[in-house]
Amino acid sequence: MRYFDRLHPISAFCYFLMMLLVAMLTMHPVIVTVCYLSSVTFLGMLIGGRKLLSSLAYSVPLVLMLAVTNPMFVHRGETILFFLNDNPVTREAIVYGVFASMMLMSVFYLCRCYSEIMTADKFIYLFGRAIPKLSLVLSMILAFLPKMKRKFREIDEAQRALGIYATESYVDRIRSRMRVLSILLTNSFETSVETADSMRARGYGLRGRTSYAIYRFTPSDAMYLLFTLAAGGALFALILSGGADFSYYPALTPLTWSPRDAALTLLLVTLAGSSVFMEVKETVLWHYLRSGI
Amino acid sequence: MKKDLLALAAVVLILVFVFSGTKIQSVDEYYLTHIDDIREDSETVFLTIRCDTVFDRWDDLDPALKEEKYIPADGMILSRTEYVLRAGDTVYDILDRAVRYNKIQMECIYSANYASVYVQGIHHLYEFDCGELSGWMYMVNGVFPNYGCSKYNLSDGDEIVWCYTCDLGRDVGCEWQVGS
Amino acid sequence: MALLEIRNLNFTYSGKEEPALKDISLSVESGDFVLLCGESGCGKTTLLKLLKPELRPAGRCEGEILFLDTPTDKLDARTSVTEIGYVMQNPENQTVTDKVWHELAFGLESLGESTPVIRRKVAEICGFFGIGDWYHKKTSELSGGQKQLLALASVMVMNPRVLILDEPTAQLDPIAAASFLASLRKINEELGITVIIAEHRLEEVFPMANRVLLMDRAKVCLYDTPRRVGALLSGGTVPHKLAVGMPAAVRLFAALGESGESPLTVREGKQYIATHFYDTEKRCELPEKPAEEREVAIGIAGGYFRYERETPDVLSGLDLEIYKNEILCILGANGAGKTTLLRVLSGVRRLYKGKYRLWGKKIKEYNTNTLYRGNIACLPQNPQNLFVKNTVYDDLLEVTKLFGIPKGEREEKIGRLADRLGITPLFGAHPYDLSGGEQQKAALLKLLLMDPKILLLDEPTKGLDPASKVTFAAILADLKKEGKTIVLVTHDVEFAAEYADRCAMFFDGQIVSVADRVDFFSENRYYTTAAARMTRPMFENAVTVEMAVKLCLENGRRP
Repeated sequence: MRYFDRLHPISAFCYFLMMLLVAMLTMHPVIVTVCYLSSVTFLGMLIGGRKLLSSLAYSVPLVLMLAVTNPMFVHRGETILFFLNDNPVTREAIVYGVFASMMLMSVFYLCRCYSEIMTADKFIYLFGRAIPKLSLVLSMILAFLPKMKRKFREIDEAQRALGIYATESYVDRIRSRMRVLSILLTNSFETSVETADSMRARGYGLRGRTSYAIYRFTPSDAMYLLFTLAAGGALFALILSGGADFSYYPALTPLTWSPRDAALTLLLVTLAGSSVFMEVKETVLWHYLRSGI
Repeated sequence: MKKDLLALAAVVLILVFVFSGTKIQSVDEYYLTHIDDIREDSETVFLTIRCDTVFDRWDDLDPALKEEKYIPADGMILSRTEYVLRAGDTVYDILDRAVRYNKIQMECIYSANYASVYVQGIHHLYEFDCGELSGWMYMVNGVFPNYGCSKYNLSDGDEIVWCYTCDLGRDVGCEWQVGS
Repeated sequence: MALLEIRNLNFTYSGKEEPALKDISLSVESGDFVLLCGESGCGKTTLLKLLKPELRPAGRCEGEILFLDTPTDKLDARTSVTEIGYVMQNPENQTVTDKVWHELAFGLESLGESTPVIRRKVAEICGFFGIGDWYHKKTSELSGGQKQLLALASVMVMNPRVLILDEPTAQLDPIAAASFLASLRKINEELGITVIIAEHRLEEVFPMANRVLLMDRAKVCLYDTPRRVGALLSGGTVPHKLAVGMPAAVRLFAALGESGESPLTVREGKQYIATHFYDTEKRCELPEKPAEEREVAIGIAGGYFRYERETPDVLSGLDLEIYKNEILCILGANGAGKTTLLRVLSGVRRLYKGKYRLWGKKIKEYNTNTLYRGNIACLPQNPQNLFVKNTVYDDLLEVTKLFGIPKGEREEKIGRLADRLGITPLFGAHPYDLSGGEQQKAALLKLLLMDPKILLLDEPTKGLDPASKVTFAAILADLKKEGKTIVLVTHDVEFAAEYADRCAMFFDGQIVSVADRVDFFSENRYYTTAAARMTRPMFENAVTVEMAVKLCLENGRRP
């Protein structure tokens, strides 16, 4: 059992909110690096090393590609390496490309972690009271996706055995996908009529709908919530007061180690690392308890 | 399979096309070490590059640029210098030769809308670096032409000034901007 | 006071001429278990939906439906939601949310119950249905049987007085269906909740019911206790097509022309035969089959297959020979890998070890064109997966283009095949509006356009009503006559015993036994037809009701 699965949705949501805000608020290389590393490790803890590796196999080339493309379009920066078609390729632009893509990837990984943890029912629990209609629709869409996925495979196989488009060609494969998708669309429209019937049969649409949740807010949830709020708040204060200002053009701001920088880094490492720490603690504790049985 | 091979061939063709159009130069190759000597009979123009307007708007300036290295104390990036005018030279050609010779950083793009080159930044000072209305403009013989710098053909003795505006030209005395 | 009372009910769908229900009058007492059966399209679903005000279809309705003396259209919305529960056919489509616990709470949420109340009720229901183990799971991870049980539980949690079910086991395998019906019996017997269920598979549910409602062409043709149905069937008041789906004991009873109370279960049928008939003649005479060399259409020797390197073998050491021009049924439990076997047979998946020869040639020597145009065609479990266009005709026309049939021949070819399968009148309909049997036929037509020599069918009888099964079997027999080789993968032992040439048992990645249908089912003790189970040990090879009847008559009645 993962720690974040047991964590109350409010606490978990607060963690993700804080981390996403921090990750998107600044491009300071230290912050970006910490966010990137922590989100990758967290995702690894959640989905396992093997799946993480296959995910990294996509993202590392993407980082490199962005690092290469940024200097093609941005020519600012005072350290010129060489000229490409009369345009300078600068070190600053490359560095910027690397960190920009790292920031993008850490946001992406945080979102992956978020979707691992914040399942539809948790989302509904959080927002159900404020926007009941919309949240239910969202939950239904999320419940619908696995169905669609399975249906897609089924149709794909049926069509393949029909002998249509079963060639090796990619062009044909794309056309075959389109065909499968159009069948899927008709099919899902048809099934959604039945789903609507099933909802109505169980009283959907009556006045005064409540939303049930299986979550209980424990003291440890409260502690974690307080911790994320405090650490996040302090971080924002530091960042907004200019503690994380950094410019890439025309020259990279030199990194310093003032007390403010130290405080900021420390806070960030505790906040970002808290998820990984909790997961590790959970695993270790579990192994320990099991050996005690 | 046949279709895949065709698609692959198309991709290779595009790549070859892209790379054949690419020119790679080292820093030394790019900058000019020599510029046309001024002789008795050569036609010449004068070029100045200045950014003294930013001093009035110092607070708006990008903090990364608030250094002597980027903004000279007198606001003169290139003080008035005489350059040889080749036949058919435009304002852009002179600027390009001058910055290459003086190793001044400059970035511009070709804008298809105006069918001309648009200068984005000189000496690391870019448009929008000093407020939303800032950018580079040029003036020939005291007049701001209302078209692109690579479309302005020069003649002997012309006086070119590239100046950085923080207020869409109003702070450097551009009449058509003041009027609007 | 009856729980439900229907008086002179007539119903016509809006936009239709022909009424869907004609002059229905009946009453259901509290605690009844009513079994509703009849052909697809006879109005079963319409009747059931009219009983549930939330699902009442649009159309012109005459007559009255009273729930505890209140007309259902005047029922308070909350009352009708809670008191009348409704479970539909497809387990997949009626789950709304993504978690089991949330699905269970959905109805109570709609009613506006508070969290502690919901918690208590959900806990109770989980205990009753044994859902505790998968309470936290995602609904998409459940098996079909679990999903249907969840659908039932999430209706039961609202504490209904009457439970309406529309073919709830049609999409389930026999084991899951039996366990679902066992839950239903528990609800009826232990809680005394009234159950009204429409079903095609009657062997298990028939003895549970205390009332059977037979419908035919929008009318009620019989409403009586199950024990009396047998005698009424033999009396000829009921059309024969409705008799074919009845439990073996009832069919035997009816075919012998008995009157009075009929046996219902295998146990009762066995006692009935033992006490009423001699058993001197044990075997049914079968026509001698001439021994001949038969051409092998598909031959697999030592076949191994798995999906991923890390997963276990699905096929391990499979040996199978399929002869030209036969109907072969491959039977096996759920999850044994029957569908995988079919994928390998169709060439969509390839063995990693072993030999696969098609008409004596290695499968590798075929390409897509030679394999799927004119050799092998595969009917998927859900025929809907084949339909692309908005009308049956357009759909067929589209596929002829893809198969590269010359323009001039297309319409003629479709017309000829459609006449043969009897689906010409359906040309203008949307494929999704057809009944299960009609969809099956339209999909089959699509495959036949390619002139395949071998037809592979995945669970073709799933969800079909007995009458459609008979028509479908007739089509298969017709195709066989034409020289086609037909392979069915199925759970349906009754269908296999009736219509196959040979049957094969698939287990643990191998074919463990293969024999002519009579030998196959008379040698099996557990995995065999109800007729075979019912007649043993008196008779030895009576695998169908017809054979049992024949033997009974040959032996003669005990005094």
